[in-house]
Amino acid sequence: MFQQSSGNETNIKLPFSFIGFSMLALVLSQLLILLNGDLLVSGIFRLPAIWSAAHLFVLGWALMVAMGSMYQLVPVAFLTPIWNERFGFWQLAVTVAGIISFAGALYFRPQDAMIPGLLTLLGILMFIFQMFMTLQSQAKPNILTLFVGTALFSLLATISLGITLVMSMKTGFASEYYQAIFKTHILLGTVGWFSLLIFGFSYKMVPMFSLSHGYSMKPAPFVFAIYVVGIFLLIFSFMTGSHLLEVSGTFFLLAGFLTFSWHVKKIIDKRVKKKLDRPFMFALFAIGCGALIHLAALAASAANLFSTMAGPIILLYLIAWIAFSIIGYLYKIVPFLWWTHKYSKEIGKKKVPALKDMMDEKLALPLFLIFTAGTILLLLSFTVKLMPIFYIGQGLIVIGTVLFSYIIAKVITI
Amino acid sequence: MNELKDKIRENLKTVIDPELNINVVDLGLIYEIDVPEPRTARVLMTLTTPGCPLHDSIASGIKYCVQGMEEIDHADVQLTWEPAWTPDRMTEDGKRLLQGF
Repeated sequence: MFQQSSGNETNIKLPFSFIGFSMLALVLSQLLILLNGDLLVSGIFRLPAIWSAAHLFVLGWALMVAMGSMYQLVPVAFLTPIWNERFGFWQLAVTVAGIISFAGALYFRPQDAMIPGLLTLLGILMFIFQMFMTLQSQAKPNILTLFVGTALFSLLATISLGITLVMSMKTGFASEYYQAIFKTHILLGTVGWFSLLIFGFSYKMVPMFSLSHGYSMKPAPFVFAIYVVGIFLLIFSFMTGSHLLEVSGTFFLLAGFLTFSWHVKKIIDKRVKKKLDRPFMFALFAIGCGALIHLAALAASAANLFSTMAGPIILLYLIAWIAFSIIGYLYKIVPFLWWTHKYSKEIGKKKVPALKDMMDEKLALPLFLIFTAGTILLLLSFTVKLMPIFYIGQGLIVIGTVLFSYIIAKVITI
Repeated sequence: MNELKDKIRENLKTVIDPELNINVVDLGLIYEIDVPEPRTARVLMTLTTPGCPLHDSIASGIKYCVQGMEEIDHADVQLTWEPAWTPDRMTEDGKRLLQGF
């Protein structure tokens, strides 16, 4: 099979715009959490400022990073060009307007969050449509398509349920199912969307960054099946209130996550590159964190304490699994984007830098230590309910986000 | 002819895979170099993995590099996945450089 060019390069302005906005949302979301710490430490999560911070973090940062990364990764991982780049810029504009107005409405006037929420919904629907059209033209779907496709479906379900929640709050619609819808919204937004997406792209990026060869992909369908069974069981438990289903659901999620962790280890064992990059090690560290968080969820559920432990567990899930994974992979994705923009026409003509030279790897270790220490202190503050510990922990996370934004911004000076 | 092919291969050592920071020759990405007619070169290459994000950059780099030689006016770079790349295709230098990371 001969091929001249993949034709799968994306206009880097698109992923970069998503990532740039996401960094602003990240810093702002963490500042909001810092300023509302007294409520969080008291175990009060359902407050306008926290809703606003949570949506800025999850939608403004994590979702925007995921979208930006997908605009870059989908063409290369699935060997399929983005369906319509111009549409992508319109999607960016609508989503940014939606998220800013939605987070603002949640903070100042939650009862008026419906219209901004619908604007956000429109932006996300445009993204899902874009990806659907792109994946549809993939010549040969594979297991990654299943992970990413199911993640996108979960995203669609998450936002549909989110809009139902806002409607319910405003009109009383489906108010008797509010709790079940709320829990399913959180579950699909975290476990269904982010985890399946990270699983899917990890299967592409882990072998690529470790130069692994000769590994088997046979466990991947089992990872998918076990994890998805866990998601379904938990949704049934929310609808029925069955504790047995809740324990079974968290058990299957743990089993799926452990199978994924074991599979990644088997892939890493087959690596040719013996010394792995630090940021990539951080993405692998996130997998270990994720396994422990899933174990904690099962333990809390088995002890019938899940409802009281849900806040800290979800927060840890977002920081130590999802955010750490994204940060680890962004360390690789951002330099690649800038390198492609600046040096892909220079390679072969003159000496060009390696990707490692594009980002300050010396800052990676302090950054990851700051995030890890901040997270541990944050967790401790929830347990002992001491405000100074919360402020130090969350303060470290804020410093980490500012440092990370600086490192990302510095790439474009190289 | 063989001298020219050797010179092209040597020149291609200036083209690196930016992720691994190893040149494409020592990585074993160059399968064949041919000079089918005067001042024209054909390079058959692969990548370490299908769907490598650096696909177009590396292929273009090889083309620029060969066309930049005074003996060559036109270079045709073709990519193949058969046979697939394996670490065994790396030179001893390549393996040593990779272990050094």
